[in-house]
Amino acid sequence: MEETPRNDLAVQVRGLTRAFGVRKALNDVSFELPKGAFLSIFGPNGAGKTTLVKVLTTLLNPSKGTASVLGCDVVSEAVELRHRIGLISHNPLLYPDLTAEENLLFFAEMYGLDDPKTRVRELLSDVELDHRRLDVVSTFSRGMLQRLSIARALLHKPDVLFLDEPYSGLDPHAVDILDGLIAQIRGDHTFVMISHDLDKGLELCSHALILANGKVVLFENREDIDVEQFRQTYRATVGTGVA
Amino acid sequence: MAKSNSWRQFKAILRKDLVMELRTKEMITSMGLYALLTMVVYQIALAEAGDSFDVRLVMPGLIWVAFIFMSMLGLNRSFVHEKDQGCIDALLLSPVDRPVIFFAKFAGNLLFLMVVELLSLPVFSFLFLQGRVGFGNPVWLIGVVLLGASIGISGVGTLLATMTVNTKGKDVMLAVLFVPIMYPLLRAAVGATFAAVIGGPGTVTTFWLYMAWVAAFDVIMVAIAYALYEFVIGV
Repeated sequence: MEETPRNDLAVQVRGLTRAFGVRKALNDVSFELPKGAFLSIFGPNGAGKTTLVKVLTTLLNPSKGTASVLGCDVVSEAVELRHRIGLISHNPLLYPDLTAEENLLFFAEMYGLDDPKTRVRELLSDVELDHRRLDVVSTFSRGMLQRLSIARALLHKPDVLFLDEPYSGLDPHAVDILDGLIAQIRGDHTFVMISHDLDKGLELCSHALILANGKVVLFENREDIDVEQFRQTYRATVGTGVA
Repeated sequence: MAKSNSWRQFKAILRKDLVMELRTKEMITSMGLYALLTMVVYQIALAEAGDSFDVRLVMPGLIWVAFIFMSMLGLNRSFVHEKDQGCIDALLLSPVDRPVIFFAKFAGNLLFLMVVELLSLPVFSFLFLQGRVGFGNPVWLIGVVLLGASIGISGVGTLLATMTVNTKGKDVMLAVLFVPIMYPLLRAAVGATFAAVIGGPGTVTTFWLYMAWVAAFDVIMVAIAYALYEFVIGV
């Protein structure tokens, strides 16, 4: 019998498998994350971290098993779920030939926001890009792109924010802005972050997960984690590489 | 929670594609240059045919060969912007029904294709029909066949461009899939254009018979593309 998603959980994953041909990028992954938590996902390249986030954000369907976010099944309730999640990736996910404002207004229309212009101005100000709002995105630095990408992900005020290596390639100023924005919305949101930076990931998280070869090696509350033990497990995991 | 609206999303995607094309002119420039160069090659190929040769007999075939290959260039470009910097993921992450993406992309491709076709025809007439006998039937019939065939080309092309954008050698892959599927449409479009250009008794009836063929192709292919789009673009 299929299990009903629990209301207190932000993410519920049961026996999740995603295969590409014969290769299993995710192999029988299960975990539960309460609302308001901050999950850091660690693992070597090819461990299945991005595939997991893609499944949870409805960009990939599971091959087997189930996954739900905020009680919405990622397959059967994908459209409803998309209103409630946001994704910040190491790719900016922005159109390089549109201006900053045009990019945000476009996505505001896609989410059906009531007053897109006001919301866009507000977010451009939050990420300190209002002075560049009429410049095309192809002229932006990496840090500016990432800040605009954060604004894009927050446009529709999502309840769960997925972050795929969001600190990758950021200058210290952009890191401060991202840290500030996370701190500002942390209480009301659930975060799922992929990170290769153990220190940063552990500093931010309430839960930590290590993936290797598509399987969960470790999933624990931050308060139960012995940092040195965790580092050893992580190093041993990274050392195994991918299948 | 804001409610998304398909019509609003359709307009937003179409407007975004128009703004980007007006800014970069990538599709229109590549298609326009291809059409122009093809016509120059045609003129060289027919240079020795002499004044007695009625170019109208081969004109429909020449035009549609140019337009089919020209459209492949543009269609290939139509999804490149979405792939750049992973924009397609942001688009798919938004609460938009996949058919809305199809119809918006289809409308944009149709518009760009029609613009280049309509600009190419006067050039073709200038290069080949100067001082010779004109069209046998009203010129607007040419407009009808251009619109009808372009709907089929854009519908199938949008689907195939979406399918092939992630493949290695997408240019070749698109051509390999596109040309065989387009064969029935190409045959009907050439027939309808021939009837419109030559004129004479019964040609208007022949024209509309071919147009019925074109319309049937459009309806079937756009319906198939619509039905398959979620599977093709998605997961």
